[in-house]
Amino acid sequence: MSPLIIEAILLLALIAITLAVIFNRDLLIVIITYCAFSFIAMFLYIVMSSPDVAFTEAVIGVISTIYFIITLRKIDRRCK
Amino acid sequence: MMRKVIGIIVIIVGLGYVFMSFDFLPVIGDSTAPAHTHVSDYYIENALRDTHSPNLVTAVLADYRGFDTLLETTVMFSAGVCAVMILGSKSHIRNRFLVPKKILKGKPEPGVSAYKTVNKDVMVTLIAIMILLYAIYVLLHGEVGPGGGFQAGALMALSYIVSMMIAPDTRPLFSLSKANAAALAGIGVFIYAFTGLLTVFNGGMFLEYGRLPFPVSNEYLHTIGIMLIEVGVTIGVMATIITILKAIIERVRFDDDRD
Repeated sequence: MSPLIIEAILLLALIAITLAVIFNRDLLIVIITYCAFSFIAMFLYIVMSSPDVAFTEAVIGVISTIYFIITLRKIDRRCK
Repeated sequence: MMRKVIGIIVIIVGLGYVFMSFDFLPVIGDSTAPAHTHVSDYYIENALRDTHSPNLVTAVLADYRGFDTLLETTVMFSAGVCAVMILGSKSHIRNRFLVPKKILKGKPEPGVSAYKTVNKDVMVTLIAIMILLYAIYVLLHGEVGPGGGFQAGALMALSYIVSMMIAPDTRPLFSLSKANAAALAGIGVFIYAFTGLLTVFNGGMFLEYGRLPFPVSNEYLHTIGIMLIEVGVTIGVMATIITILKAIIERVRFDDDRD
């Protein structure tokens, strides 16, 4: 499979995840889906041959998800 | 209704602008793109001779653009301090991390094996130590492989977070209060800036690693200089992440702006 097809698949996955994040009403699902966004973005950076950025994206994606989940414990989970 | 119409118009105009500008953008990896024709060639040809660092990303980040990275670290430190100042205003009630007490009620004591065979707490503790080891590996090998100070600091903070997640009453791998974490972030930035000042004291320019006051050859001076600032960046990033984490944990509620 050529890199262009892989890139296209990953970018389409990013768009799909973004739509899921926009239209979901449950904030916990939104946070987990957003973690998946950062995971797919990491693969995209690897395909574009920049392992340093991919490394950073992997670590920071996990940490930001933890921040969001801690914050979610203190607010209403349902989106109004 | 009016706001929705305005929003849709703004989205259409913005998307149209983006799609129109696709034609003028260079292809990814194009060697004749404007970004690759001025300094990239110089970096690629001379980085190993100038900085003695096999990883080009580290060479550019830590050596050619040392000022940039210094100010970046400072911005990150100020972000941590701002998070404390904004979020830390209502911290009078101590709040738990991830496992509220009512869920624990009726469950076995923390530390008792959860699945008969695997002790969850011991498992998580081992993972935290593994992450810490990997962080040190990434820090020391930042010059030859992917990674460096920023990633190592984030990994260290991750090991702290993981070791905090075990059970509400156990202690993390190393304990840091919010104020101490903020001070530690400042120390990280200071280590970076002090490395730059050491070269100034020895008669060089700011962050000119060849003039560091150590009795070794020029090649190792660059390695030592890059290592020193990476240690500073690592401490800064780790302490900033822990500071923001503590500020979020100690904040009681977020949707209480009325009172």
